[in-house]
Amino acid sequence: MAVRQGEDQVRAALEKVWMTSKPEVLSRLATIERFLASLESGNSNNASRLAAQSAAHRLSGSLGMFGLGEASTCAAEIESMLLHDDSLQAEKMAELLRDLRNMIERRESQDPGRIVHP
Amino acid sequence: MMPRTVLVIDDERDIREVAKTSLELVGGFRVILADSGESGLSLAQDARPDAIILDLMMPDLDGRKTLAGLKQNTLTAEIPVIILTAKVQSEKHELLANGAAGVLVKPFNPMELPDQVCEILGWCHSKRRGE
Repeated sequence: MAVRQGEDQVRAALEKVWMTSKPEVLSRLATIERFLASLESGNSNNASRLAAQSAAHRLSGSLGMFGLGEASTCAAEIESMLLHDDSLQAEKMAELLRDLRNMIERRESQDPGRIVHP
Repeated sequence: MMPRTVLVIDDERDIREVAKTSLELVGGFRVILADSGESGLSLAQDARPDAIILDLMMPDLDGRKTLAGLKQNTLTAEIPVIILTAKVQSEKHELLANGAAGVLVKPFNPMELPDQVCEILGWCHSKRRGE
């Protein structure tokens, strides 16, 4: 399909959506980080786990639209850990969360014109 | 001729906005948005879009119930519905059996979404209206 508008125009429009979505993305990330902190201190509960699971699910479903395919995969891995008791390991989750935050923050330093959708 | 109209039903604002940007700018469609299953049912009946893209996981009236509502209403039953979900493999068969025209995986690529919609709906060769 030929792109109706120039690709630069489409990318600029998507970049605007990213800018307005970023606070929500960071808020979802913080929700998972809070759960991890509670897990590490032995104070986690089911409600915070469900909130973290929902946040990871939403990140997994949206980050790839903004050229962050790898971050989507990382969020899906976190969601999967939160779904299964036997795979819930604080150390592994901390590592994935660090990676996820780095990928999101790294995007900020990129030229929007260079964001590549897979 | 008027461009085809696509109704996007999703409770997540960023996904609605990216879908709208993609379908309008890349695909040349007219796009209307609903942020819940309830408002989607109402808008589908009023606007009678050419197709609906429906998120599966939504609070209250989720995608399955919304799909059922669309198919039970004679005014909307014939509108093709494409389901948007992150868990495509395990759910595709069931969704198609319940009347979905196709299933798309989240996250979608906004540069490719219109092509995927056209492919599912068989609009590829007939071209979008207005061309």
